[in-house]
Order: sequence, then C-alpha cells, then structure tokens
Amino acid sequence: MNAQSRSAPAVDQVTASVIQGALENIAVEMGYKLMRMSYSSIIRESEDFGAGLVDVHGRGLAESAQSTPLQSGPIPGYIRGMQKILAERGQELKPGDAIMHNDAYAGASHGPDVGFIVPVFYEDELIAFSATTAHHLDIGALTPGSCGIVDAIDAYAEGLQFKAIHVYSEGEKVEPVWHILRDNIRVSDLVVGDMEAQIAAARIGADRLVELVDRYGKETFQAACDTVMDHAERLMRQAIAALPDGVYKATTHIDGYLDHGDPAYRELPLCVSITVKGSEMVVDLTGTAPQIPDKPINMPLHGTVDIAIWLTVRSVLLDTAVHGHIPVNDGLVRPIKIVAPEGCLANPTFPAPTIARFCPGNQLADTVMKALSEVAPGQVSAGIGNLRVIAFSGLQGSDHWVHMEIFEGSYGGRDGKDGMDAVDTLYANTRNNPIEDIETHLPLRVDRYELRENVCGAGQWRGGLGSVREFVYLNDGAASVEGEGHKFAPWGFRGGNDGAYAGLRLDRRDSTGGELPSKVPHTTVKAGDRFICIGPAGGGYGDPRKRDPHRVLSDVLDDFITAETAERDYGVVITTEMTVDEPATAAQRGQALSQLH
Amino acid sequence: MKLIGVDVGGTFTDVILGNTESQSVAIHKVPTTPDDPGRGVLQGMIEICERSKIDRAEIDHVLHGTTIATNAVLEFDGAATGMITTAGYRDILHIGRHQRPQHYSIMQDIPWQDRPLVQRRHRKVVDERLGPPDGAVLIPLDEDAVRQAARELKEAGVEAISVCFLFSYINSAHEDRAAEIVREEYPECFVTTSSAISPQFREFERFTTAAMNAFIGPKVRDYVTNLERAISDSGFRADLHVMGSNGGVATGAMVSERPVLTLLSGPAAGVLGGAACGARCGRNRLITFDVGGTSADIGLIIDGQFAEATARDTWIGGYPVLAPMIDIHTIGAGGGSIAYLDSGEAFRVGPQSAGAAPGPAAYSRGGTLPTVTDANVVLGRLQPGNFLGGEMVLDRGSAHKVMGDLAERLGMTPEAAADGVLTIINANMANAIRSRTVQKGHDPREFSLVAFGGAGPLHAVDVARDLGIPEVIIPPYPGITSAAGLLTTDLKYDAVRTEFQVSGDVDRNRLTRDFEAMQEILAAQFGADGLSTDQVNYQRSGDLRYVGQGYELRVPVADGPVDEANLAAIFKAFQDIHNTEYGHVFEDNPIEIVNIRVTGVGKMPKIELPTSNADNDVADAQIDELSAHFHVGGKLKALSVPLFVRDRLPVDQVINGPTIIVQKDTTIVIPPGANARSEAVGNLIIKTGFRS
Repeated sequence: MNAQSRSAPAVDQVTASVIQGALENIAVEMGYKLMRMSYSSIIRESEDFGAGLVDVHGRGLAESAQSTPLQSGPIPGYIRGMQKILAERGQELKPGDAIMHNDAYAGASHGPDVGFIVPVFYEDELIAFSATTAHHLDIGALTPGSCGIVDAIDAYAEGLQFKAIHVYSEGEKVEPVWHILRDNIRVSDLVVGDMEAQIAAARIGADRLVELVDRYGKETFQAACDTVMDHAERLMRQAIAALPDGVYKATTHIDGYLDHGDPAYRELPLCVSITVKGSEMVVDLTGTAPQIPDKPINMPLHGTVDIAIWLTVRSVLLDTAVHGHIPVNDGLVRPIKIVAPEGCLANPTFPAPTIARFCPGNQLADTVMKALSEVAPGQVSAGIGNLRVIAFSGLQGSDHWVHMEIFEGSYGGRDGKDGMDAVDTLYANTRNNPIEDIETHLPLRVDRYELRENVCGAGQWRGGLGSVREFVYLNDGAASVEGEGHKFAPWGFRGGNDGAYAGLRLDRRDSTGGELPSKVPHTTVKAGDRFICIGPAGGGYGDPRKRDPHRVLSDVLDDFITAETAERDYGVVITTEMTVDEPATAAQRGQALSQLH
Repeated sequence: MKLIGVDVGGTFTDVILGNTESQSVAIHKVPTTPDDPGRGVLQGMIEICERSKIDRAEIDHVLHGTTIATNAVLEFDGAATGMITTAGYRDILHIGRHQRPQHYSIMQDIPWQDRPLVQRRHRKVVDERLGPPDGAVLIPLDEDAVRQAARELKEAGVEAISVCFLFSYINSAHEDRAAEIVREEYPECFVTTSSAISPQFREFERFTTAAMNAFIGPKVRDYVTNLERAISDSGFRADLHVMGSNGGVATGAMVSERPVLTLLSGPAAGVLGGAACGARCGRNRLITFDVGGTSADIGLIIDGQFAEATARDTWIGGYPVLAPMIDIHTIGAGGGSIAYLDSGEAFRVGPQSAGAAPGPAAYSRGGTLPTVTDANVVLGRLQPGNFLGGEMVLDRGSAHKVMGDLAERLGMTPEAAADGVLTIINANMANAIRSRTVQKGHDPREFSLVAFGGAGPLHAVDVARDLGIPEVIIPPYPGITSAAGLLTTDLKYDAVRTEFQVSGDVDRNRLTRDFEAMQEILAAQFGADGLSTDQVNYQRSGDLRYVGQGYELRVPVADGPVDEANLAAIFKAFQDIHNTEYGHVFEDNPIEIVNIRVTGVGKMPKIELPTSNADNDVADAQIDELSAHFHVGGKLKALSVPLFVRDRLPVDQVINGPTIIVQKDTTIVIPPGANARSEAVGNLIIKTGFRS
C-alpha cells in the first residue's frame, strides 16, 4: 500500500495511539510470562525467545520488548507459513486450537526455534494470532543439543519437522503428538516444559487481545491496527527517502567449513546490493555463494535472511538511541523488497539443511550494514565481530544434560564512539549465563571470563574488544560448535584498521588437542579438557592517527593495549611515567603539536 | 513522642512534624538546596519547630528520605573506586550479561561500559577461587597479592574499594580476609565486600552492587555524618534514621556502610505513605499512584504488605542492583509530559517532559510546547486562579495557544486535542498499572487507587475507570505523602543467603541453622541500634523456583525449625504463588530453594493523624462555579461545575460529579458519574462508578 495515497483513517489518532500502547502491553506480558515460566537457560537466562501478535493477513502488530529480535521478528512469517500449509491441506482453525510449527521452508527461523500459535477468535470469527517462539535445547537431531549440528546432511537430519501440527485441537490436548515429542527429544522434561510455557504465554496473549477488541469493537480495532502499521511505514519511508537515490554494494565472507577439502565449502561470499529509490529500497543478494546441499549453513529466506536485513536497516536508519521508541510492526518492512536468487545460501531449496544458519545470518546483517555505510557513514559501525554457540553435553546415567552457551562478538567503532565491547551483535541479543549458575548446576567450570587484551581494530574510534572464556569439563562429555569469523576479520571503515579474528582451542589432557575451525561437529571431551574461546574484535572507525592521544593513553592504562601497540598503531608515544610524550607523538604522527587534540 | 519526617524532592524539601501526645501534625515546605541538600533539611526542621512552637530538644526521632545516593548514581558523581577480584575475572563488571540495552540501535551507550563504576586500571586481580556447592577452597587466597593491590590502589588515589570474589555468597572467608588486609593497608578507605552487601548468586549483578556501594559510599557517608553533626549542633537531640529502598528505615551508621540500600528512599516513602493512608480507612489492597511533573510511580499493596521487586528487575541508572527494594514501577508520564505529533504523524504524549523549567506553557516560564498540564487548563480542570493555593497563576491564554497549534495539525478543536492528550497519557498510566497487576495475576478491580503527588488526583478517576477500579482514595496532604509515609516506617534490616536446595533432597537442619544464624546477625544489628528483643519482629521467606527456571518467586516461611510439615507448606505456597502469577503449575517438577531471607522489623513509634468531624453545609465549601469539559454519553461537552475547597468539606457527605476540588497542593477532578466523600480520618473517597 502506498502511504501517500491512503484514504482518511477510519479511527481517530487518539484511539489508534491508545490501541497501539495496548498491543505492546499485551506482547510484553506474553514475553514476561514465557521468560519466567520456562526451564532451560537458553530461554530464561539467554532470553532466546519471542512473543508477538499478528493479524489474520499475517501482518505483525506488536512484539515483546524483552525477546531477542531473531525470535520475535520471524513470528509473522511463521503465521503465513502455517496458513499456507493449512490451506493446502484444506484445514481450518477452530477456537481452542494450538499449532506447533518449525518448518524453515515455511516461515520458521530454523528447526529448533519452535513456534506455538494460538488463533484468536472474536464472536466465532478468526481475527488474529498470538504466538511465541523459543530456541529449544534439543529437537531430536543426530547429536545432542540443537546447535553445533554442523554436519546434518539435509532437513531430515536436523531433528523433528513440525509443519503446522495441532498440539491442541478445540481445547483438547492431542496426546499422540506429545508422546512423539517426549520419545524423540533428549532432555524432554525441559523441552516439553518450555513448550507448555510457550502455549500458556500465547493463550494469555489471545485472551488479552479478545478483551481489547471487546472494548473497542472489531471495526475500530482493525482500523487502529491499519493506522498503526501505516504510521510505522511512513517512518521507514521517510528514513529511506532521506538517503540519496543510488546503488550501494558490499561483499563479506563467511568461513564456511575451513577444514573441508572442497573449496566450494570454504570462504563463501555474501553479496548485498542496495538500491535506494525514493522512499523504497531493494536489497538484492545476487552474487551470494550457491547453497551447500549437504551442510546446514544455508539461511532460510523467510525467518533468517529477511530478519537480518530488516533488523539492520531499521537499526541504522531508525536507531532507537537516536529516534526513541518506534513501534515494531509490519509497516516497518513494507518499503523494503528483498531479492535472493533461488538456490543460493540466502534462498536454499528444500531439503537443504539450515539448522546452523545463525552465524551466516548475522554476517549477512553485517554485510547489509557495510552496504549502507557508503550512504549513511555516520549511522553505522565498522565491521562487527560475529558470534559462536557451543552445545556442551553429557550423560548422567541414561539422562542427558545439555547446555548451550552463546559467545559474544563485538561492535566496530562508530562516528564519535568506540565500538561496544564483548556483546551480542546485530540480530542476536541474548544474555550469557552466570558462572555461579553454570558451575552450580553443570559439571563444568568457567576458568576465565575477561576481555581480550592488546587485540583490537585501531581507529580514531576503535573497535570493540573481544572476550576470552575458558570452559573446563569436570566429567567426560561432549561438545559441538557453530561459529564464524576465524578467517575473515571485521572490516575497518574510513581508514580504521580491520578488527581481529575469532579463535577456538581445545586443550586436551592427553595432548591431542589444538586449534579448531569455527565449526566442530559433535566431539567427545574428557574430564579436565579445556575449551579456550577467543572472541573477535570489531573493526576500527577512522584513521588511528587521529585518535585523541589521551584516549590512547587511557587504553594503555586500562591494559586494553600495550604502550608498544599505542606507538605502532596510533603513533602515540607513552612515557615511563605513563603520560603522553607529546613532542614524540607529534613527530611520530608527522603532525604539529597543536594538531594533537 | 515527637517525630519529624523530612523528604527531599527535586524542587521542595517536605517536612512533617508529628506529636503523639497532642496527636497533632504540622507540615511545611522549604526549597531544596541541591548543592548541599542537608542545608534545606536542617532549615526545614528548624522552621517547623519554630512554627509549631516546639523546643528542638524535644524531638525524639528524625526520619529522612534522601536522593543523595540515587543522584550520585544518576549523575555518575561518585568516588574514585577500586576493585579487588578473582584472577581470571577482571572484566565481569564490563562484559555484564553480554546483552545490549537496546535491540535496534548502533549508536547506543552501554552504561557499565561507557560509565564504569570501577575503571579497569583500578580492577586488580588476585589468586583465589572457591567452588560450589559448599564454597570449598579450590585456590587459596594470595594475601600478599591483596596487600600489594591495596597499596597500588591507595597509590592511585582510589577512595573506595570493593572486594568481589566468585562464590563468596556461599563462603565469605576470602572476601572478609581480603577486606581486613585492605583496611590494614589503607585504614581511611571505604571498603565493601560483595558478600556483605548482597550474598546472592549472579556475579555480574552482585559485583555491580558492591561496586556501586563503594562508588557512592564516601559521598553518602559524608552526607550522613555531616547532617547528624549539623542536627546535633543545632540543638536537636534526636537521632537520624534514613529511609531505605526496602520500605524501612536504617540508622545513619548502617546507611553510611551500605548506602546502596537507600537508592529508592524517596519513592519507597511514597508507597508507605499511600499504604498508611489506605489503612486509615480500612483498605489493604491498594495501588499507589504518585504523579509529579515528569514521572508516575506505581506501587502495589496486597493485604497491607507492599510488593518487593524481584532481583532481576531492579535497575538504577542502567545498572543492575541486587538489593531489596519495594517494587515501584516508574514511567515517564506527568504534568509536564509533552504532547506532539511524531514525524510519522502519530499522536504521542511523553516521555519527554517540560519539567519545572521551562515547564508547561501555562507556567509562563518560557514553555512553548503543549503539555498535560496545558491540556488540563484548556479543559477547565486546572483553574488558573486556584493552582497551588493561588501561589502560582496559570496563563490560560498560553495553554490555549499551544494546544490550538497542536489541534490544528490534528484537525481537531483545541478541546478535543486536549482531551486526546489526557486520553493518551491516562492510557499510558493505566498500562503501567496493568503491567504491575494483570501481568502478575492480580485483578485491579479488587484494589483501591491511592492517588497523590501534584498531578495524581487530577488523573486518578479516569485512570481508575480505564482499569475498572471502583474506588480512588486521596490522602489529606497529597503533595507531601512521602514525608507523611516516613512517619509510618519501622526500622527494617534484611539478610539473605543462597541455598540451592532441591525438593526431595533438602537438608532441613542446614535451613534451620542458616535461618537462625541470619536472625542472630540481624538481632546484633538491632541491639547495636539500641532496640530490645521485644521491639523486633522477624519474618522469614524463601526465593523458590522449579529446577531449571531462572526466576524465583518469594514465598513466606514459618518461624521455628524447618520440619517436614513446615517444608511441605513452603513448597505448597510456592505452587500457589506460581499459579497466581503465571496461571500455571508444573505439579511433578522438583522445586529449588534458591535463597532464604530473614527480614527484621524494629518497631518505631507512630502517630495517628488527627480526625475531623466538620458537619457544615456542603454549600459552605463551594467557592465558585466554572466551566469544564467532560465526556457525557461519549461526547466531550462543556459543563458548568462547582468548585470546592478541600479543607472546608464536611465529613461523610456525598458530593456528586462533575465537580472540582482544590487544595493547596493539588487539584482533584470528579467527573460525571463519580462521587466524592470526605472521611473523618482525612481521606477523600471517590467512587468511580465501577462496582467491585
């Protein structure tokens, strides 16, 4: 719909504003309840879940503020995928139904992110959907855990596939489905408990939505939803229109499988070409590497690729820190068109596996930011450091324990600000688990958790620092790893230096360990073996020799960098009294003394 | 017994004097002195004694609500702070939970990275390590390294040091010993250990709390010491008690050591004031609604008890704080909230506020943007000649002009636009209340709304109606409810221990032992404050969750040894509370006792507020007849409404809306369909038209 030619709104702006607030409040309540009721640390501590409300046309109305963007963002896609499958089967939704869905080729983000969808009926008419998504610890794949499944050869090897499955039918629990879940999923007590929490939270959302519609009437409610979405669309169109028309391109690379013999599995390009025309934007991924038919780093177009693109465009053009709170709904994505050739990494063909798409998707987000950097240089960061996930697991008797830990990346430097250190980046925003929680509940010890010293993307505004975390096994167990960024460093920008690679080492007590690539399929680990996880450092922004020498000194005083690095990368000479040697610095930099500050 | 309550606000320092012998109360306001708030406090105390003709030496206790700690955090104005922590974990404070505050932002700041409470250069690491489940020593404490670190930090000019070791919440021996060494090396330093401040798991949050305590420590200590001295030098013999975030007061000595306990001092007193007001008319399920110029504070009282925030929901200035706090929800909605059309043409109100300066357009202090106050003026709800007891004249013309500009862009009349502003701000406030009630399984229709602050009584009935709340209570002095709340507090100290014990395998003797040990520690504190055993009550509770869950629920625990029946009752209570809050129980799942707590309450003397039995004619209280806009049958209409003066209202006579009641510190709006009745105990009870 073209916002400029819209007809007069059928609802006044006051009511629209009030209904907008009420929708957000409902989504927040859903997220609050899910987070607190759930069992596995991946949901309740890492906050890897989503909650949202969607209209009958599959258009997002509101999302929960606490959840991670990669979970809430795809919810409308889950609904559309479910609707398509149900229509193909000729199935209709009824009050009291709850649907389970995780089909990565029908809107789901990837298999472990299972959606539970409750249709919302008002006076016997379907008026909306209330849905939650969450990353489950295990989904019955070939090895324990639901990350680091980096050698699944197709969609069937990734675990159970749920294509719009009724788990409640007209209020009745569909018991056989639950039996299948319990029988085919490891740590099923946790996983099934989390699934029940998801349904409970989605039902709360549905109840609240009915109360809201009851209050304002269906017509007013729907008109308000249209108004609210049109509003978000106008904000995005204005932000796009503020950019000069043109085509802006960027390419970055993912590691893929660095230890693979076939070059088609390694060092794969992600290509983004953004065409800005008026208030619209086309994001074209042509040139991106072909899909890998038998390795799961392919990215679902709906659920991962679209979210990576929308999130990055929104974070750059409608940055919350600059623009304040902006409602998240379907309107924000209407002006953005995505083109992805079929059969590429960003638009794979079934049954190509997708379960390990997390890091490639975030690299795509980074590539979108790089393309925008040309036209909005003051609103981007230099290249980000990507993330890593490790599934730690083991057996206690015949019961599995599984723990998934997400390892932080870091941001590149920004115009006027250094990069954020050791945080989740772009489309991920989860939380780590407290060391005191991990060690109390699992046979693991976290022996170190610190910033990585003397490695960062130098710049006038330096890149964020990476982290170092070490995990030691107290009992025999296993691990699998999916990560990125061992081969390609985060990009420097405007004269800033590139950042630093990530790294991973497994020190085995029997001395057979060593450096590992970014992806490690399930591997057994002995008590006393140690993972040393090195996080990437973001790219620098601007010429390092323009960095205020006192900021460089401060970094030396904080042991972020050494005095030698200060001199080499920044041309700043630090005296033994820990002050800036201004004449020597000016000479190093070839600047006059007065130019130093 | 004579008590003084002093609450320091942004603009005014409110003082209340209660006399238990004469059962009388006096109130007073003096300007806040931001450079040294203690000056205003002292001035207020001296003046209220003079006005009440009471000898300063007769005052028994001074109860003080202060923002000194809060402001030190919000303005990032604290001591140069150092930290000594476990080798390998120097950056727990910096990495945090590796989560960004904002999802959709490249240019955001991260408070704990951009404004570190302890700079990395002042974070020293030493060898030591404890492990779960019992705090066994894996690596002994390197005492020489601690000594060396203390010397280096002293040399670097650090004024406060926090000692933060992993698993110190189970075993504090290493932290205690390290603190001892620091004090030997640097006796004048302010020293804090994380186990003394908050012995609970989650290292980032605990370390941050300890670091914050050190960061604000010297400043708060100096403030309290100076104020105590100044009070005593001025001829007072009263001792000073400071309001804590937990809803109780603490001695000056305690607050000097643990200033982090006072971060919500002022708002907590407000909730207590609201609770006391409800209690006077026999209501014990209350929502407190304190609305000022920039924000609205919302608190919840259930069965006379205020709710305490869960540990993961307590933040100050963007930093997490693991300290007991009343659950107070603050949103950016108040009289100064600015109404605007955003660039996408959506109608918004707040959270930006015009504050006191430039303030609403009607204040004639240079404000040019339409605010909630201006909307109230345009609709006739705020009367230009009767604002703040006539101390400030509102400019109706300016309010109309700014609202007219907004109305033109909206294609509405100025009155309709003003009505829209109120509708939106009231909906925002109602949503905030929903998040504290409906979201936690409480039905707001079963509560009374206690409205205070300058703007609370203006909006209360509309907000209550939005939520189906049947009754609004307006305290006698809505503008000084926090100060009045101070007179209702008790001395209150908390102790907490992390247990991690799971149902089916609970060491009951350990629980019994730990409860008793905590109670002994608190008893010693009360003893040091001069209270006898019979003046102190203890309440036990536990933080429980299903095994695997990440959030705990607070469950009451009976006194005495933890026997089988006692334990079963604890788990049963957890299931019930879980069901209330989440609408869901997991019958067969094991339950984990995460923390246990003891709260000690030492009784302070109380006063009863005076009662009134005025039985004059209602007509005597009416001072004017004026035009104000209200909704009638879904349409906004100008109505002729009577204007009453609060302190002339007769007791127990019903006044039907629409009407407006003014008093010195607020204006009360009674819309059509609602009615108001003044009670002998001083409250005004408004029936909103909803039945509970």
